[in-house]
Amino acid sequence: MSKLLSRRGFLLVLGGASLLLSSCRKEVPATATPAASQPVRGGTLVVASIADMDSVNELLSANSRAADDVLYRVFSHLLDEQPDFTDHPPTFKPELAERWEWSPDHLTLTFHLRKDALWSDGVPITAEDVRFTWPAQTSPEIAWDTFYMKEHIRDVEVVDAHTVRFHFTRLGPSMLVEANEGLILPKHVWGQVPFAKWRESGDFFRDHLVVSGPFKLERWTPQQEIVLARNERYWNPELPYVDKVVVRIIPDVQNRVTQLLAGSIDLLEQVPMADLPRIEAAPHLELTSFWHRTYQFVAWNARNPLFATKELRRALTLAIDRQGLVDALWGKWARVADSPIVQNVWAHNDALVPWPYDPAEARRLLAEQGFKDTDGDGILDRDGRKFSFELITNQGNSARMNAVVMIQEQLKKVGIEVQPRILEFNALNEAMTERKYDAVLSAWGMPTTLDLRYAYHSDSIDDGDNHTFYKNPEVDRIIEEIERLPDITEAKALLDRAQLLIHEDQPLTFLWESQRINGLNRRVENAQSNLFSTLWHLHEWWLQPSP
Amino acid sequence: MSTTSDSSPARRAGLAEHLLGRLGSALLLLWMVVTVTFLLIHLAPGDPLSVLSPERFSPEHRERLARSLGLDRSLGEQYLVWLGNFLRGDWGTSFSLSRPVLSVITEALPATILLAFAATVIEYAVAIPVGVAAARRRGRWADRLLRFCGLALYSTPVFWLALMAILVFAYWWPLFPASHRASVGAEDLGWGARLLDQLHHLALPALVLGVASAGGTARFVRNRMIEVLAEDYIRLARAKGLSERRVVWRHGFRNALVPLVQLLGLSLPMLLNGTLVVEVVFSWPGLGQRIYQGILARDYPLILGTTVFSGALVILGNLLADFAHAAVDPRVRRG
Repeated sequence: MSKLLSRRGFLLVLGGASLLLSSCRKEVPATATPAASQPVRGGTLVVASIADMDSVNELLSANSRAADDVLYRVFSHLLDEQPDFTDHPPTFKPELAERWEWSPDHLTLTFHLRKDALWSDGVPITAEDVRFTWPAQTSPEIAWDTFYMKEHIRDVEVVDAHTVRFHFTRLGPSMLVEANEGLILPKHVWGQVPFAKWRESGDFFRDHLVVSGPFKLERWTPQQEIVLARNERYWNPELPYVDKVVVRIIPDVQNRVTQLLAGSIDLLEQVPMADLPRIEAAPHLELTSFWHRTYQFVAWNARNPLFATKELRRALTLAIDRQGLVDALWGKWARVADSPIVQNVWAHNDALVPWPYDPAEARRLLAEQGFKDTDGDGILDRDGRKFSFELITNQGNSARMNAVVMIQEQLKKVGIEVQPRILEFNALNEAMTERKYDAVLSAWGMPTTLDLRYAYHSDSIDDGDNHTFYKNPEVDRIIEEIERLPDITEAKALLDRAQLLIHEDQPLTFLWESQRINGLNRRVENAQSNLFSTLWHLHEWWLQPSP
Repeated sequence: MSTTSDSSPARRAGLAEHLLGRLGSALLLLWMVVTVTFLLIHLAPGDPLSVLSPERFSPEHRERLARSLGLDRSLGEQYLVWLGNFLRGDWGTSFSLSRPVLSVITEALPATILLAFAATVIEYAVAIPVGVAAARRRGRWADRLLRFCGLALYSTPVFWLALMAILVFAYWWPLFPASHRASVGAEDLGWGARLLDQLHHLALPALVLGVASAGGTARFVRNRMIEVLAEDYIRLARAKGLSERRVVWRHGFRNALVPLVQLLGLSLPMLLNGTLVVEVVFSWPGLGQRIYQGILARDYPLILGTTVFSGALVILGNLLADFAHAAVDPRVRRG
């Protein structure tokens, strides 16, 4: 999937890279089980996946949500990040580590591992595994795509078999998240392969798979299905409730919908808008949803004189009927975005008032910036140059393609000419990384660490994803200041200020945030899809016995 | 074709020369296909690095990854390294799957062959009787109807046909499963039940692919049969008082068969195209899906490997068509 929408986004979100995150919980329609019914053990849950997983080794898996969804069920983190980020940063519950503590200077973090945790081959999970995982994560030969989360970890020290200590080089707001990022890997098995060989050893890792999570990988038939079964050695013998989970790989979206309707699959993620009524009408199905942490935008290349000042960019925002886009494309399933921090995350600046749809004000601002229609052709111009540009987006995303056409219509009303162009995904990516575009409609997945550096710090113009050439010294300063805080909670006032500045500067026009909509068979109880994962806490899901 | 003349040393030498010549040009063609593919995938926008580390464009990480995948070398060097390894039997390691390309291909191949074979059987089982029947009723309403249906099928996109088939035969009237090679839990069945389950799963994709290709083939058979049925020897056969059935099938169809054998070889590229689409729609675990995913992921070794492979298949199909033609028509190798 997309550079913008996929993995990092997901990993951060999913992975626990996050500190923050937005929640679904409070907004999810009450689909959870009535408290009266008790979980039942047994049964096989069938889930549809768009794509196959690419590797059983998290460090080799790129770009694969499917892999994350599965691997997070069969391996464990030290801690279990909770999706309770609506009112405060997310909290953590014990997983492989039963408790943790900070040194007085807050530069050393000690984890105490549970003593009853075993790998699926019976070997105890120890501090050695935790220690082994760290050099693998940071190895240049393996080149894990999330290695930068470990940049500020100086050492991982084995204190004793069940005590491990992380040493940091500096204070930062996301230290616990950084330590917890990444699944703990089995040293006694995977340690047999030198790091230099990892990128060609996919088959070895698959054939020598020992796991630590509630499920084990019973079978993986490439391009067909992934079968998870109860891991009898999981430290909590009560879980999981279901015997098996079959992930059926079905790339075609209409086929997935048909099979959900026919009852051959229980869960379908990301139901297309056009199919919602059919699913809503089926008595055995229900829709569940949660707000995702991606936000769609139009990015303006500030090196282009048409977008060089914040007044011009604001005029463009005022001339786009964003509520109209949301109503036409999403209905109740989306809302107008106003910030790089999505609205159901604790750190969102609720005092922001989104720019209204105000073409008159847009025209006034444009005139103030020297744009007039001097030749009477209906298009504004300045110094002999027309206000005309190319707006690009990627193919295969109908909401974006429709939005581009609607924006073309709306901007025409204030005298701006838009030439829409649809590119293949990789081509769009290249246009952005090379910074060769006028305007682009795309999306970012908000990093769950709430770090705004990726697209809003001026250093990221050369070394990062700031492809709009956005530069505001105060925003730079705030980002740097937050990076030195030992606790993200203290960053609220700074984050509010940064969001306000970005809102005023409009390096991008924030378009919408939307919900992820899943179709679910009503026989599934306690399904907890959220923006961490479609299969979050799968071991706690259960199936109603068939009548 | 007398067996004696075919086995004479001179003839055999001629045939061997013909075969070698064809094989040589086939290899040359394959090399060209691979080289052009190599250039094209590197010219296409985007690269494996941005697919493998999707968000966060960090020059440092790109550099690490490039080095680990051998993409830090110059294009010419990458080409020579790939070609050298390939000639030694090393097809490289897939970037996106971290597995040897050859094992990815051999794993996906049986499913594609099975599907293509079943579809071809269905294609000809439908096309031959229909084409012959249309030729015999030339110009009458049955012929016109068959020609219309053939044209309609020929011009219908395969993916649409596949989706309609799923809707009708897997949902409204659930005769067949909508995807995959086997049911959930099929591994617990006995071997007989498992075989039936697999055939059940094969039916719909094979029917879609077979019927979709049958349209064009039926027209071909019809036109060819019309030509043949106008020949003098057919009139002679009829004059001898042979039954119409015997005339059409024995004397007519056997002569129409020659170009049909050629068509079979030449239709391989179309068939591979078709399997690509059908595999994606029906979640069929074949080569087509791998090619498709390889392209999206800019997985150079996988794209090159599958290209060599399908290129070789297509060229092989052509060669076989050629040899089959030579076998049934000795004039070819004499000329």
